[in-house]
Amino acid sequence: MIIEKFPNALKVLDDIKYGRIQSATEATLSIVEEAINVIFKVQDIELIKGFIKEYFTQAIKARPANALLINILRKLLENIREPLLQGDLYTLRENITNSFRELKSNIERINELVAHFAVRRIEYGDTILTNSYSTTVITALKKAKQLGKNIRVFIAESRPGLEGLKAAKELDEAGIPVTLFVDSAVRYFMKEVDKVFVGAEAIAANGAVVSKVGTSLIALAAHEARVNVFVLASTLKFSPETIFGQLVELLEKEPESLVSKEKMKELGKVKIKVPIFDVTPPEYIDAIITEKGLIAPQAITLVIREIYGWPFRVTAIKELLGEEI
Amino acid sequence: MKIPQEVYSIAEDIKTMRIRGASRIARAAANALKIAAQQFKEGNRNDFYKYIIRVSEILRNTRPTAVSLPNAISYVLSRFKREYDRGSDLEELKNVIITAADNFIKYSKNATKKIGEIGARRIVNGDTILTHCNSAAALSVIITAFKEGKDIKVFATETRPRYQGYITVRVLSREGIDVTLIPDSAVRFIMKKIDKVIVGADAVAANGAVVNKIGTSLIALAAHEARVNFFVAAETYKFSPMTVIGEVIEIEERSPLEVVSEDFLKSVKHVIIRNPAFDVTPPEYIDAIITEKGLIPPQAAIIVLKEEYGYALEDLMTKAIARVEESEEFLI
Repeated sequence: MIIEKFPNALKVLDDIKYGRIQSATEATLSIVEEAINVIFKVQDIELIKGFIKEYFTQAIKARPANALLINILRKLLENIREPLLQGDLYTLRENITNSFRELKSNIERINELVAHFAVRRIEYGDTILTNSYSTTVITALKKAKQLGKNIRVFIAESRPGLEGLKAAKELDEAGIPVTLFVDSAVRYFMKEVDKVFVGAEAIAANGAVVSKVGTSLIALAAHEARVNVFVLASTLKFSPETIFGQLVELLEKEPESLVSKEKMKELGKVKIKVPIFDVTPPEYIDAIITEKGLIAPQAITLVIREIYGWPFRVTAIKELLGEEI
Repeated sequence: MKIPQEVYSIAEDIKTMRIRGASRIARAAANALKIAAQQFKEGNRNDFYKYIIRVSEILRNTRPTAVSLPNAISYVLSRFKREYDRGSDLEELKNVIITAADNFIKYSKNATKKIGEIGARRIVNGDTILTHCNSAAALSVIITAFKEGKDIKVFATETRPRYQGYITVRVLSREGIDVTLIPDSAVRFIMKKIDKVIVGADAVAANGAVVNKIGTSLIALAAHEARVNFFVAAETYKFSPMTVIGEVIEIEERSPLEVVSEDFLKSVKHVIIRNPAFDVTPPEYIDAIITEKGLIPPQAAIIVLKEEYGYALEDLMTKAIARVEESEEFLI
């Protein structure tokens, strides 16, 4: 394996796989940043080719549901394919730097837009419930605070991974009052909640949303209490593969992420199942807020048509990775 | 009036959850009353009366939500008061407490076993069962079914913040039962694989609503959505007579340090941690409550209350009515 020569790349893969980097956006950016590091260090173009193929394949394996990652890698591959095939190292470096710069500012701009639309749905004095750590949700909440909307945020701690604590800290720094509780308490607090804001790992063709495990429970409890649920996600989170019937693969974590090895010995012959994501059906989602506006989840295909055309034209990422390089 | 150290340490153990589980708490309280009666040395029967009331107060103030605790105390106290009113002497009164406490403990242990037998009839070969927290009554059902030779699988939640699910999986795996631990947030993810949910209860209200470990109502909701049957295993001493006269069962909120570390708390300014220990599952999400007297629909909780606490209920009701009649609002 070529990739074994690059310990930093292996570490990034590990971090995104085991949820040390949970946010879909952060996971994507760190994967690409490390790819660029390698491309600028290595002179041998054949080695780079081999590395890119293995590294991107592993990245997708590590987060198979991360539509943003797949979509971004697809764009990158399309942009660097020519220089890679021709062995033009200079153009390769130039292309990947440029397209990454563009992608990054694009992602930031899109995040801002999504947050901008989302903030319009926040009213003065709202209590907003969220879980895990979503870059887009955090941006929106901070914006609401800046606009003086006097919000209060409820956060579920979000095991496994406890990204809720990280989100709480960041909102705390922004001066937003936060109430944190265990995941199982979301129904207990739902009556005090005005709106639910969550992020997404992927959006499927029917408008179902793949997100941190527990999100579908929150949406269910919100639905029961007639609390509106908004998913904040750019159209880059849409998974084109699902249009052609592909199921979104829901990754599970290793048992050690839930229970320490010593504890496991104590427990005896016990199986441990640690899903990281679950699927929220469209009927529990009031709207998906994208950079192209706010839409019903069932209408997501309409927005997607503008990007991928009709019928949809998408090159499968596996094709780009397997044959062209 | 010297209260024995042992009574204080039992009260402390209940408060800090070294003794936990509604039935264990109830038996510990009965046992503490017994110890108090045995160790009472100086004084007459009137001193003993005050002493026992004081001991009861100490025990009652440990945990606010578990109804089994005041019910166990009332079980002993109501018998004691009857004897006291009859004018029995100190030795007789001590014996009443000791006997009543022993009887309660015996009844409680037997009830959990009986619930196991009744509940196990609802479990069929090949069932996959989900349970939450660590309930002796719910485990009694599961283990009884397994020992009857039924081929079952169990999923158990971790049960944050205190991970009582770890105790559950350890107990079940020792019995040889196929058991899988999942995080609390994964219950909807797993629900499609589940045939039945069985949980315990800390209290059952007059309308059949069940107070149990935080997260129970969320599981009931997810089960309801997936049309999975939801059973509550609860001894009749977990039914709350006070709710008949409109009292609300208080939900205990425990220390933030059960949820986050001290370091985390110190590092934030605008973050508060809320840690409710229980939640309320509405009766419409419960298919049946399994008691030692039989399986009842939750809405029939009032029958249990009338049958088991008829005497106490009448007393409560008379007092409540008297209070209303005295109050000015009533006159207006």
